This record gives sequence, C-alpha cells and structure tokens, in this order.
Amino acid sequence: MIGLKGCLNVIDNSGALLVECVNVLKQKVNNGWGSVGDEIVCVVKQARPISEAAQASATAVKVRRGDVRRAVIVRTKKPVRRPDGRFIRFDDNAVVLLNNKREMLGTRIGGVVSADLRMKGWSKIVSLAPKVV
Amino acid sequence: MASPCPTRALAYLRLHDELIGFPPKLEIDSFSGYRIYPAKGKLFVRGDSKIFRFASSKNSSLFLQRKNPRKIAWTQVYRRMHKKGITEEVAKKRSRRVVKHQRGIVGADLAAIAAKRNQTAAVRSQQRLAAIQKAKTEKKEKEAKKTKPSTRAPVTTAPKISKQQMKGGKGGR
Repeated sequence: MIGLKGCLNVIDNSGALLVECVNVLKQKVNNGWGSVGDEIVCVVKQARPISEAAQASATAVKVRRGDVRRAVIVRTKKPVRRPDGRFIRFDDNAVVLLNNKREMLGTRIGGVVSADLRMKGWSKIVSLAPKVV
Repeated sequence: MASPCPTRALAYLRLHDELIGFPPKLEIDSFSGYRIYPAKGKLFVRGDSKIFRFASSKNSSLFLQRKNPRKIAWTQVYRRMHKKGITEEVAKKRSRRVVKHQRGIVGADLAAIAAKRNQTAAVRSQQRLAAIQKAKTEKKEKEAKKTKPSTRAPVTTAPKISKQQMKGGKGGR
C-alpha cells in the first residue's frame, strides 16, 4: 500500500537509492494505494554520486536527487494475495525506475522481486531479476 | 477442522492445476514444521531474500517476536531435539533381521544337502544297518581271504626270503 509520501528503495542500477511516491498511476483512481506491479510517479530523494566521466557517457541514464521519474513497485511490506490463496509479504518496499514509455532506466536489478509482476505485464523486469518469489 | 465441501474443493483444485500443477505441493512451516495446505498461511520474504512460510498467524507472530522454535514445546524442531514420539520409528528399525540362505558347496550341491537333511530316521537307521552288515560281510570276506593266503604262506615266504637274501647279499658285500 504505497501512497503519497511513501518511501521506497530502488533496486536497479539507475543511480537512485531512495524515492518518494508522489502519485499512484491507476486508471480511474489517481490517488489510491499502489501495490506490486503498479506504476507510480516519484521523486528521487537519495541518489548515488555521479562522477564526471559517467556523466559524459550516455550508455546508462543516471538520475540525480530531485528528479521526478516514474517507477514500478516490485516489493511491498503489505501482503499481496496470490491466486492460490497464499499471501506474500516482503521486508521492505522497493521499486524499479522507468521512463515515460514504461521502459526500465537501469540495466540490472539487485534483489528479490515479486512474481506478481509477471501477471501485471512486467515480464522484462521479471526476466532481469536475480530471484523471483 | 471441517473439510471443504466437494464442489469448492474441485473448483480450488482446478484453479490450482492451472496455476501451479497437480498434485499440490505441501510446504512445511518454517517455524513449527507443520504442513501448509494450499490457500493457507503466509509467505514472508526477508531482506536477505530468505523465504519463510507460516501455516498460521500463531507461527508467524512467534517468528516475528524472534522466539526460538527450539524452545517452543509444540514445534517439530523441539520434538526432534527432545526425541518425543520417535519410539515408533525406532521400533520399526529394529525389526530388520538377516536371513541366512543355505548354499551348496563344491562336492555337495544344495539338492544333496537337502536330500540328506530330509531323510527320515527310519531310512537313516536302515542305511546304517545296511552299512554295518556290509562292513561285517566285508570283514568276513577279508578274514576268509586271509586264511586262504595263510596256507600258501610257506610258498610265498620262500621267494621273500630269497629276495631278502639277495638284498642282504648285496648289502653284505
């Protein structure tokens, strides 16, 4: 249940560390609660320092503090129900940053990712994740 | 605990088949060691990506309180540690015994051994009597033969003496 002002960890290598949710993008309801597989608009609160050399190269997009980006929620502390009736809960809330076209900004994902993403259509992220639960 | 009604069970199994497969895999609880039936319990993924399964809120609550299952008396971990209720398993293990098989040896194959063993007492005694009689007759024959050559003794001894003389003669000179 991620909503306004909710802090989330970033688990890809886009450079951001912590983001704050600003808006939950859901059809009809624009300000509800975000769960696994939902897109959110967020502000980068903490980011890894970018060196000059990295800035010059355009291979990987690096985000800076204060950037407003989109992201998809991949882990929530709030239990999510699976079709078989099981509930899955993670220890933290985590996102993977996206651009406006629903493509990932980073190239790698570090950490566990919820399998509910596959059902919501984020198969690219699922395939990149080292572990899917 | 009441079992689910047949229609619900069927519906659930159909859904389960589609998603996970048949037969449904029964997980075990990470805290107590109980079996987790489908659609029951919770799954918790910790920060270090370790997965914990809980069959009920009792188990999950105790886990989150950081209780040690080895000290909680009703958990499988505790029971195994204190060897509770394992007597059945131990008894089963003891009932194994080695069965000896008779084998034939060179000179007496299995059939011969079996035949000898299975002889009745009467047959054996008969055999013994027959053997004794045989021995007696043989002895008698031997004695008869001995008496016969005793008459020929002087004839036979002569050549013996001559042989001895020959030998002695040789040795003497």
